[in-house]
Amino acid sequence: MATRTIAVDLLARVEGEGALDLTISDGRVASAQLRIFEPPRFFEAFLRGRGYMETPDLVARICGICPIAYQMSAVQAIENAFGVTVGGQLRALRRLIYCGEWIESHALHVVMLHAPDFLGFPDAIRMAGQHGDRVRNALTLKKAGNELMRVLGGREIHPVNVRPGGFYRVPGRAELAPITESLKRARDIAVDLVRWVATFPFPEFERDYEFVALRHPTEYPITEGRLVSSRGIDINIADYESEFEERHVAHSTALHALIKRRGAYLVGPLARYALNFDRLPAPIQALTREAGLGAVCNNPFRSIVVRAIEIVYACEEALRLIVAYEPPASAAVPLAPRAAAGFGCTEAPRGICWHRYDFAADGSIGKARIVPPTSQNQPSIEADLAAMAATVLDQPDEVIRERCERSIRNYDPCISCSAHFFKLSVNRA
Amino acid sequence: MSPPADRKVLVLALGNTDRGDDGVGAVVAAKLAGRLPPDVRLATRAGDMLALLEDWAGFDAVVCVDAADPQTAPGRVCRIDLASDELPRGLSAASSHAFGFAEAVALARALGRAPRDIIVYAIEGRCFEPGAPLTAEVAAAANDAAGQVIAEVGRFRAPARTTD
Repeated sequence: MATRTIAVDLLARVEGEGALDLTISDGRVASAQLRIFEPPRFFEAFLRGRGYMETPDLVARICGICPIAYQMSAVQAIENAFGVTVGGQLRALRRLIYCGEWIESHALHVVMLHAPDFLGFPDAIRMAGQHGDRVRNALTLKKAGNELMRVLGGREIHPVNVRPGGFYRVPGRAELAPITESLKRARDIAVDLVRWVATFPFPEFERDYEFVALRHPTEYPITEGRLVSSRGIDINIADYESEFEERHVAHSTALHALIKRRGAYLVGPLARYALNFDRLPAPIQALTREAGLGAVCNNPFRSIVVRAIEIVYACEEALRLIVAYEPPASAAVPLAPRAAAGFGCTEAPRGICWHRYDFAADGSIGKARIVPPTSQNQPSIEADLAAMAATVLDQPDEVIRERCERSIRNYDPCISCSAHFFKLSVNRA
Repeated sequence: MSPPADRKVLVLALGNTDRGDDGVGAVVAAKLAGRLPPDVRLATRAGDMLALLEDWAGFDAVVCVDAADPQTAPGRVCRIDLASDELPRGLSAASSHAFGFAEAVALARALGRAPRDIIVYAIEGRCFEPGAPLTAEVAAAANDAAGQVIAEVGRFRAPARTTD
């Protein structure tokens, strides 16, 4: 029996760190395990006993890249438990700050972390030597997203202005006006970015995913919707636990999420896009066609194009929201705590971020459950790795390693959110 | 004697104040407040190191203060001139989130956005546990580091010497 072992000690260009173990036996992929070994942080445990007003600021600390996702899912769950709906301009402001997070997170991944894979550079620094303008534009995009986060959230990382019921302070129209110019510039850069990444050489590789995303009656989903899948799931977010389950696996400190009775599913840009293509404005649909995409994309390597499309959408949506903005009379809707369970689910840049809190009558948390997008994608990442490795088994170890690392980066995984970290080894037995 | 050098100088304190000795940058910044010339900017930065490219835009010289992993003795202050020296391994601004301080400097240089002079004062730490206070050795080093930064800023702003 031939034995080959390939090891990569640290996967580069992902958020957080972890490892991959690939076992090849008798010329076949026997297993592909995404090994997440960073110690769990016990957020759900230490939220117990904390008051509902503290929750958005505590869960924001789960991630420095997508804190708004955690804050928005949390406030939605709190308001759901206490029987309050936040609408009008407060809802619009929430969508606006979320657009900022999409722009900065996607721009970072598309250009700084993912694009080097397609152009043959080890990282964005080396890429900057030949594609300096692209990198400068990415920084401009990121700055525009950060600007929204700062103006609405008080600061760019772990914003402090989001509270249950709304915000601590809402901006005046004059505060949003300067952002308009940077967003218009960002939109133009993003359109150009779509056209650029669409020219990248993509491996011929497709998988038959079950896509899972939110779906809203009129909007491309960001802040709310029903939970739907490409194989028929269509449920209220409160029923997540009836269709999905989390399992502990020995090789990961992050739980694996699965659809009951069926298994792995995919969340994130490809899923949002496939399930909500008809919710994109017509000019952006036209741009997707120009970029060579159909209404559904099953090639995970092309996720870079879909992310770029979503940057365009987030810029357009932010501009639309700013034009329509009228400062609300009150920065927040009053809340009265009660003993109840509440559910929240929003679309983080990497996919749905689902929360459940069980509150006591005084508004303290009795039990918390948070399901981040990367932990939901873990089984799908492993399935991609096994399928991708199977296509290059006759290649040198370096090729297998490179393809596997790229397969993981297709997901823009936030290992820090799911528990944390990353190393790769391939065992050929 | 030639006229005073018209150089824009930024003093940048890096690090996470909630991670033990990693917070020494912010402590040094507090000690520097009010002690630098009025046209020298003092700023702090934690987390997103890519933002450094915006922070130092338009400055000729940057003096960074940050914690470093222990190399010899906790509290030792090490001056690193990036024009000639490499950053030490374990500078605490290194990040699991893809871009740390070293990457930010390299990217800025590749894009032509790096200040001409970057001087790093790295203070060796001992404990970087979440929620921990500064260790005594590192806290004691903050005064010395602040003094060195003031002297460094003075050198940047000193009248240029002529050799004729």
